[in-house]
Amino acid sequence: MPGKSFLHKLNPLTKVVWSLAVITLAFVYQQPLPILSLWASVLAVALIGKVLREILPAIRGLIIFAAIFFLFQVFLIDEGQVVFTLVPGTGIGRITDVGLKACTMLALRMLAMTSTIPVLLATTPPKDMIVAFVEKLKVPYVYALMLVTSLRFIPTLQEELSLVIQAQRARAYDLEGRNIIKRFLALIPLALPLLLMSVQRARTMAISMETRAFGAGPRTSLHTSTFQLLDIGVISSCLLLTAVLAVVSLH
Amino acid sequence: MEPIIKVENFTFYYPDSQAPALEGINLTVREGEFLGLTGPAGAGKTTLALALNGIIPNFQGGRMGGKVMVAGLDTAKTPCARLAGVIGSVFQDPEAQLVAEVVEDELAFGLENLAVSREEIQRRIGAALEMVGIASLRHRSLRELSGGQKQKVAIAAAVALRPRVLVLDEPTSELDPQGTVEIVALLQRLNRDYGITILLIEQKISVLAPRVPRLVCLNKGRIVADASPRQILAQEKLTTELGLEVPPVTALFRMLRRAGVYQGDLPLEVDEGQRELGRLLGSRASRA
Repeated sequence: MPGKSFLHKLNPLTKVVWSLAVITLAFVYQQPLPILSLWASVLAVALIGKVLREILPAIRGLIIFAAIFFLFQVFLIDEGQVVFTLVPGTGIGRITDVGLKACTMLALRMLAMTSTIPVLLATTPPKDMIVAFVEKLKVPYVYALMLVTSLRFIPTLQEELSLVIQAQRARAYDLEGRNIIKRFLALIPLALPLLLMSVQRARTMAISMETRAFGAGPRTSLHTSTFQLLDIGVISSCLLLTAVLAVVSLH
Repeated sequence: MEPIIKVENFTFYYPDSQAPALEGINLTVREGEFLGLTGPAGAGKTTLALALNGIIPNFQGGRMGGKVMVAGLDTAKTPCARLAGVIGSVFQDPEAQLVAEVVEDELAFGLENLAVSREEIQRRIGAALEMVGIASLRHRSLRELSGGQKQKVAIAAAVALRPRVLVLDEPTSELDPQGTVEIVALLQRLNRDYGITILLIEQKISVLAPRVPRLVCLNKGRIVADASPRQILAQEKLTTELGLEVPPVTALFRMLRRAGVYQGDLPLEVDEGQRELGRLLGSRASRA
């Protein structure tokens, strides 16, 4: 991963500052268009960082999530002019102009805010994140380690899940029930072995860490987290730009 | 000289268990020995390994009796972290025992915990990778490595703490025959060249027997045999009772012995058997 683009070279905390700047602006802006351009700027950063293609599936997921968010909210607002009714003649499924605007804002705001997270994850090795958080933000090492080991377990769990699915299929277990309740119940024979395996794994890992002096007291670190000139430049321009844009928009 | 491992009348019950996992264990290991430990599933092999590195009773609760001493330290009264510098452990599952993403960081983990300085960590990582023969993997991602390579990383991570004893709990059970032979050969080298005492728990007797001078057999929580592999494999009743996988060549010579044709030592490996067979046939031919 290192050296792929300037984004990869930045200190993780610099990227966190950028993330916070985007969140701040998403709250400051009260019109859809500025928020849309804010979101576009996040995607542009991903493009320059050569990770746009990599994070596209995550972005797609976030869009779907925002759409669901929008649909759940839009029917609940009664104020303003009615522009559309789901069942004509009744009050069911009424959408108003105020509701439409507010929900669009809400969805776009959420989208802009959350889109920085995949960019952050795609350009930062978890290890660097730990070092930066522990060294610069004084986060207790145990918490940082917990976060990273759980991230590390995800691919292992995926492999194990497919193993369990294959094993259950080999015993003619039907995973494709039509009815939603049946489908949900069908998950239990998959989840149970997976859970048991994970508990076993976690125990082995705990023992393995214990035999290598985990929690012995103050520890040192092989890697160190540094701010380069580039980081300082990016952080100050983020802060400056956010301040200027916020002031302009609030006037 | 004081033995590096001294287990005295050790008994252990897991919580809520009526039957002891280990009962009346007495075991003495001298520094620099290479010891094999075998026995059927549930015999107490893993429990014994965990008692040696202090996980029992410091981390795993239960009732215990007797005493376990490693390098002069009573494991029940010494924190695991202190024992970590004396006794290194490697486990069965190559996946679950590794905590980092990159080989180098895996080796650094224990050293960081012991608050070793950054320069010294670098030096020790280099040395441990050299010892295990995986210097080329230093910056590789653990996810890309094979099971055998992962086990070598786990061994290197243990070796980096400069232990005097290494306990390995079936490190080859998830490896292919080639990987198994490589790991055992590596352990032999660590034992011979660096004087590290090795206790290897292993089911694959055909790999273990020719390579260890001393084999301890556990069954139902007790030590039932402690002798050379040759002496143990000669006892048909014992090997059947323990379900030990007797190497085919050894089984053949046991039959020859029973038939009264052969009186020498039982061969443990094929080429050894070939030689003996040649000698046997030769002496018969010259007599005829």
